[in-house]
Amino acid sequence: MAAEDLPSEFDVVILGTGLAESVVAAACARVGQRVLHLDRRSYYAANWASFTFNGLLTWIQQHQESQVEEEIKDWSNLLEKGEGLIYLSNPESTSIRNLQVFCFTSDEDEEEAQSPDSPNTTEEKAVYESEERSETKSAGLNEEETKEKPEEASDKEEKEQAAQREALEPAADKPHPSAAQSQSEPTQKNISYAHLVKEGRRFNIDLVSKLMYSHGSLVDLLIKSNVSRYAEFKNVTRILTYRHNNVEQVPCSRADVFASRQLSVVEKRKLMRFLTSCVEETEDQQAYNGRPYLEFLHDQQLGDNLQHFLLHSIAMVTEDTPTEQGLAATRHFLRCLGRYGNTPFLFPVYGLGEIPQCFCRMCAVFGGIYCLRHSVHCLLVDKNTNRCKAVIDSRGQRISCSHFVVEDGYVGEDRKVDTPPRFLSRAVLITDRSILPSDSDQQTFYFNIYLTDSLPISPQVSVVTVPPIAEGCPVVKMVELCSSTMTCIPGTYLVHLTCQSVGSAYDDLSPVVTRCFHTPDSPDQDRRPSVRWCLYFNMADGSGVEVEGHNLPSNVYVCSGPDADLGHEHAIKQAKSIFHKILPEEDFCPPAPNPEDIIYDGENTSATGDEDKDGEKTKDEAGEDKEKLEEQSIQTEE
Amino acid sequence: MEDYDYLFKIVLIGNAGVGKTCLVRRFTQGLFPPGQGATIGVDFMIKTVEIKGEKVKLQIWDTAGQERFRSITQSYYRSANALILTYDITCEDSFRCLPEWLKEIEQYANNQVVTILVGNKIDLAEKREVLRQRAEDFAEAQNMLYLETSAKESDNVEKLFLDLACELIREAKQNKLDNNDTAPMPGEGKTISYLSCCSLN
Repeated sequence: MAAEDLPSEFDVVILGTGLAESVVAAACARVGQRVLHLDRRSYYAANWASFTFNGLLTWIQQHQESQVEEEIKDWSNLLEKGEGLIYLSNPESTSIRNLQVFCFTSDEDEEEAQSPDSPNTTEEKAVYESEERSETKSAGLNEEETKEKPEEASDKEEKEQAAQREALEPAADKPHPSAAQSQSEPTQKNISYAHLVKEGRRFNIDLVSKLMYSHGSLVDLLIKSNVSRYAEFKNVTRILTYRHNNVEQVPCSRADVFASRQLSVVEKRKLMRFLTSCVEETEDQQAYNGRPYLEFLHDQQLGDNLQHFLLHSIAMVTEDTPTEQGLAATRHFLRCLGRYGNTPFLFPVYGLGEIPQCFCRMCAVFGGIYCLRHSVHCLLVDKNTNRCKAVIDSRGQRISCSHFVVEDGYVGEDRKVDTPPRFLSRAVLITDRSILPSDSDQQTFYFNIYLTDSLPISPQVSVVTVPPIAEGCPVVKMVELCSSTMTCIPGTYLVHLTCQSVGSAYDDLSPVVTRCFHTPDSPDQDRRPSVRWCLYFNMADGSGVEVEGHNLPSNVYVCSGPDADLGHEHAIKQAKSIFHKILPEEDFCPPAPNPEDIIYDGENTSATGDEDKDGEKTKDEAGEDKEKLEEQSIQTEE
Repeated sequence: MEDYDYLFKIVLIGNAGVGKTCLVRRFTQGLFPPGQGATIGVDFMIKTVEIKGEKVKLQIWDTAGQERFRSITQSYYRSANALILTYDITCEDSFRCLPEWLKEIEQYANNQVVTILVGNKIDLAEKREVLRQRAEDFAEAQNMLYLETSAKESDNVEKLFLDLACELIREAKQNKLDNNDTAPMPGEGKTISYLSCCSLN
């Protein structure tokens, strides 16, 4: 904790702890490179991070405060002959915008709220974070602070933080009819805002919403590298889709198809035949190359039901996606199916923010040095070779390096290839029940939420595909997490919505939220889950960012932030390509030795070895490790 | 079948240089590595001990140097059954940082984690800066066990890990009695390798 100085020479300096950067860090350290890994933020994983509820409130607040431009110091005194300077910028100022928070919890304590007759249960309040409350800046948010603003009972306040160029609008009072809302949930307990804050540390709310394809490049890499030992995973249990104002389960495995109640016998047969046939590429399929997948599906005479399932929920493509892409996506889905469970997806326990951290741990185990709250101010460039020779860190220390890897947010706009900036729209909801309660959920639903822990429930992790709900609207992907994923507290569900931005996150996603969930804006009251708290924001879309080609030295590589895809292919591919540019001859993330296989020399024989500093020899033949990995089952349920 | 009755994950935390790695190596390998130098490529160490006829496998995780600049990943704390919070009795500063470490524990470790405070380096008694009583009071106020050790002289090192193992067994049995179907807690999920064992393709 002391302000120790960093070493002044490294092979690779990496700035930013997002997924791609962390994978590069692990890969480089694993093959013996001296790695320094920094992040300006106080937390790991950059825009891939996950937060406790309170941590997220702090994050929101930080992004709502007008960004104070850091004073650019003049480091030219550190320049040596023939060197030039490139200044880096602040990553947070550009990548997140349009934050809006809504809170629909009752402020009453639970005992009162339990009584259906209590008039207080009908009240909906919005608590919002406001700029004026700058005194809470560093302290984070505690109960008193967050309850500071509960206004008139039936008022709903809305805080609109518009795009950065907009001046701070005053909070707009927007009254909403809130009459008789209690009728819809007679026996249900309202979770109070104070309760969310109190139990805040049990939430792990991801900034990105993705899933891991069972045969995707991330899962393959986790297994190959043994990084998988740092995390635990859950199966995604259901694939759902929103259709005709209803949420339906999509049958995708053979067992699902046969068990399905929505499909007729003829449809079941057709679906099985289709799924079997599309595994192999046929001439019939090739004839559709370049034409929309929808057309191909249509010509297979599958009927509306199956066409919808296949296009939106299995291939997860749009109506105009070309057939070859649609088929490739379908095959990928089928290949992933059944490896670990009934669906092709896994989700990490404690949220996706764990994954970059797991790679950072691997890097540290192989000697990488970690320093959060520490940044790089500028690069020193050799004018003759156009290579980055060293960096100046936020303490003014000169650190030499052979390669520099950086999160794209740190690179000034003036240096980037001219790609039109794209954004993702995100929404995060805390709801009170599943969007499609399974049978056992329905049974337990009427019990006190604190009892559900001990009742036999089958918690569901669901992915929901929502086709455009109107002309010009984006395709929305929704992931609903239950409390056993350790991302939310019992009695709540955490719902993530993502789409490619058309407008602001609120514009893009609130129509879907209003339809699928119960909010004060919903047209009617029914058995849909109630939204307790929600957050909208836009995040820069990383899919268009190139690794190279920017106006940067040749040994500087740019990592993009999260993209809109459900999987992690983009980041892993990027990390791999950067690693091979730095170390063309080396293996990418070979298996780390299993601790149980390490043989130690009894004595400290030598201190001269570079990798085996403490005299241990590692036995890491890949084959043997694989077997060990298969046997090893650290946690076993059931 | 694995040949143990219990498997516990024990995680070490505390300032750099207080002797965390030395404690682990003394216990698992019976040696005291002289000089500094991070242990490259070793994730955790394993030792199986026998307590009252039951085989207990201890998986002991070290910080991998991430504590140096106060940058330990949250995921390091996840699913730990016990935490060993270490300070150096000859270094006031390492004691004064304990509240910060406790904050981190509260934030990221699971509620049921067993925490033990360890004052290391009692072989350097003449340089002691933190009185035993002070540390004991602190530990008691924070509801932690307390022990003073010397990794160098092997004082109390065995006792530290065996006491922890006993405590963990006691808790595990208690948990089983209290609640057959415990709430989802760390360990609920499965490692990828376990998941893959279940699948047929």
